[in-house]
Amino acid sequence: MKTVILAVAIRILIPIFIIFSVYTLFRGHNHPGGGFIGGLIGAIAFVFHTMTHGPQQTVDTFLKINLYGYPRQPNQSRSLYLMRMMRVNVWRRRKMAYHPEIKERMIRVEPIYIIATGLLLAAGSGVVGLVFGQPFMHAYWADFYIPIIGKPGTPILFDIGVYLLVIGVVLKITFVMSEE
Amino acid sequence: MFLAILAGFLLAFAAPMLYRWLGKWVYVPMALLPLSIFIYLLTLAPAVLGGNNLGEVQQWAPSLNVNLHFFLDGLSLLFALLITGFGTLIMIYAGGYLKGHPLLGRFYLYLTLFMTAMLGLVLAGNIISLFIFWELTSISSYLLIGFGHDKETSRSSALQALLVTGLGGLALMAGLILVGMAGETYTLSELLERGHVVTQHALYLPALVLILLGAFTKSAQFPFHFWLPNAMAAPTPVSAYLHSATMVKAGVYLLARLTPVMGGTDEWQYTLMLIGGVTTILGALLATQHVDLKAILAYTTISALGLLVTMTGIGTAPALEAMVVFLLAHALYKGTFFLVAGNVDHATGTRDLTQLTGLSGSMRFTAIAALLAGMSMAGLLPFFGFIGKELVYEATLEESPFRWMLFAVSFFSGMVFVAVAIAIGYGVFWRRAVKATPLQHPDKAMLYLPPVILASTGLVFGLLPGFFVTPLLRRAAEAMLGVEQVFELALWHGFNLVLGLSLLTVALGYVVYRFSNRLLSYANRFNGIYRLGPANLYQLSLKGFLAGATKITAAIQNGYLRSYIAAIITAHIALIVLSLWKDGPRLELTNRLQELSQLRMYEVVLLLMIVPALIFLFKSRSRLTSIAVMGIIGYSMALFYILFGAPDVAATQLLIETLTVVIFVLILHKLPAFRYLSHASERYKYVLLSLAFGAMMTYVILIVKQYPLDSQLKAYYGENSYLLGQGRNIVNVILVDFRALDTLGEIVVLAVAAIGILAMLKLRMQKGDKP
Repeated sequence: MKTVILAVAIRILIPIFIIFSVYTLFRGHNHPGGGFIGGLIGAIAFVFHTMTHGPQQTVDTFLKINLYGYPRQPNQSRSLYLMRMMRVNVWRRRKMAYHPEIKERMIRVEPIYIIATGLLLAAGSGVVGLVFGQPFMHAYWADFYIPIIGKPGTPILFDIGVYLLVIGVVLKITFVMSEE
Repeated sequence: MFLAILAGFLLAFAAPMLYRWLGKWVYVPMALLPLSIFIYLLTLAPAVLGGNNLGEVQQWAPSLNVNLHFFLDGLSLLFALLITGFGTLIMIYAGGYLKGHPLLGRFYLYLTLFMTAMLGLVLAGNIISLFIFWELTSISSYLLIGFGHDKETSRSSALQALLVTGLGGLALMAGLILVGMAGETYTLSELLERGHVVTQHALYLPALVLILLGAFTKSAQFPFHFWLPNAMAAPTPVSAYLHSATMVKAGVYLLARLTPVMGGTDEWQYTLMLIGGVTTILGALLATQHVDLKAILAYTTISALGLLVTMTGIGTAPALEAMVVFLLAHALYKGTFFLVAGNVDHATGTRDLTQLTGLSGSMRFTAIAALLAGMSMAGLLPFFGFIGKELVYEATLEESPFRWMLFAVSFFSGMVFVAVAIAIGYGVFWRRAVKATPLQHPDKAMLYLPPVILASTGLVFGLLPGFFVTPLLRRAAEAMLGVEQVFELALWHGFNLVLGLSLLTVALGYVVYRFSNRLLSYANRFNGIYRLGPANLYQLSLKGFLAGATKITAAIQNGYLRSYIAAIITAHIALIVLSLWKDGPRLELTNRLQELSQLRMYEVVLLLMIVPALIFLFKSRSRLTSIAVMGIIGYSMALFYILFGAPDVAATQLLIETLTVVIFVLILHKLPAFRYLSHASERYKYVLLSLAFGAMMTYVILIVKQYPLDSQLKAYYGENSYLLGQGRNIVNVILVDFRALDTLGEIVVLAVAAIGILAMLKLRMQKGDKP
């Protein structure tokens, strides 16, 4: 579906969507919100992007990490090599894309990985209790307070897991349905 | 004992890796395991032979009263020694038999798994853990029979063995639980002392029937005998180990084990004697109708198992003594014969009795083993088989109303055993032949040593019966009888009736051997009977079962989403209406009607949005309009949630509606044209169903609201969500803290659903693909 207005608007709106979704996620403990709602808001941003630009474009823009690199020379020191790799990938990304010697390697973030990460976080937050000899899912809270996020604790971790999982599931469904 | 079992399981799963590292030498560690367990058991033997039963408990599921309880008495020791001793030889033999086979590691995995399970079965001191090991032997047997999985017959035989023994396993589980209920304990050592309680109990008869079903399927008793000859599709080491010496004797072991608990009643005795007798005769008869070495051995095994069951059924002291002696003798000579048959098959490429002659020259050591085993099987003088046969005859000739029938059964099987022993031990190897069967490769030490060792053990036991065997077997018989026994095994009993009968058996057996060709020619005439036999019934019932399952699946799972939803909703309505009808409170509408006057303006407006939208939805002929109208309904619902003070739910509803509409729009142009595929009356059926569901839900909610909500949950969560959960949003605190486990379950379902959608849409089957 090609609508110019939406297509342009969504590119500006996506960061706002994501920031708002994260805000909703952390707000959830004291006000309406939470991982599920936040995840849905975050997912809707990507779904609109897919709707206007097609799934391939969404994947290329948001779910792919390009790493540039070249094989280490035999006489090059290991730390020097690592430093150069960092520089290539962090400061001078744009230029390196056209460099002849530098090879491009892509890491594609499959939605299924996001689902798995979310599930791992959610289940892992419960294991913390087990480690300290408490029942599964026993909650632990820190004593200090961070603005916006609030008190960190295992339930927050759990909520982040839910958030990631919801985003992953919606993205997966959207991609599968629109790709055919 | 627990460590031995654990080591077995660990080594079993390490086998494929070991094969990758060690290549053909993999048999060394695999054989060392049973050998070391064997030696370990021997160190325990003096205590057991002194009359002490050893026990060992590992906590497993204490709340269910199921513990890994190990128990070693004479009977267990006999079986455990048999399993590990024979196991050592088989591990070596298998290394030679399947040398160079790419899946040898997997074979050792299955074989060790089986051995460990079998060991666990005989050492188990708790009938539930006994059952679990029992099932493990069935499963590993299935894997072993199906080892040559590229062949159709292997696969179907394996499945057959699994289905038959698995069916028996299910019956056994029920039976063991009933016994446990009757005896009020699942621990074997306690159960053994409560035999009189169990036999008097009302549950005795059903328990007996179920347990016998389990034992008979495992030990291939009539009418379940048919799986055993088919199981010969397995590689020969497996046939020798599982299907002659150990696994099929698990049923006999179970009967022997439970003799003090359940034995002694008329039902027990007559059933065992009848089924055992029929099996003995049938196995012996069928053995004369085949020319395949392994088939002959399989049928004589069935016959021997029948004889063992009969002996257990008689249940007198001499009969049980004869049972244990014959069991040991049979394991020794039948195992040898199977290994010899495997050697012959391996070297010549055929197992057809009529084509094998004069192999004594080319396979000297195998021939010697076969000769020794044959003489033991025929019951000739210095061998252990002779003692077994004598005792069996003595036991059957005891004073009892059935003595002549029982004797006839054992005499007949003895005769056939002699004939088979001559045919294999002598005919294949030593009979003078014009032209010996050519060999494809010379006899190998790894293949002939195990049978030679086994067969000479039979000779040594025969010559020195008092040395180790007598105390062991005496304790084994004691375990069944429950009282102290004194019996001495002796080779020579003097000239008496039994000796004369033994000689007569041998003589008649020789006659049967001479006329075996004549007997074979009758084989075709029995085809008519086979058609009615249990093997065919099994095939028919399997086919019928599959056809029935196909039909039921086609009826229930017809692939239309609407019929699934309709079924769910109909069932829901029916259940709720039923329970409301029976003892539900009555709705008092009169004073509730006043509440309508409190209706707020927004609520009326929302109602005015939803109802026309619904009617419009039914009339709509375009998909896009339908989706848009559905969206209107959904958003109105969200507004309702806001009105009634549930912002979290409202937000979720709004977002989900948005997503639904967007996703629908995404796939809109890929869907087929929007058409009414069903008849108008069909549609009204669904309208009616929805109306009924809506009406029912309304009614239920009205009734619920009729009573004041008397719940402390709300107050509890309200008080504690900030204090314990550190959050002011109660809904969220409940979701992520108080009931986080539920949420975890839900998100797991969500993840699985996403994978399911992927599978459904991506892995679309091509037409004609098998599901």
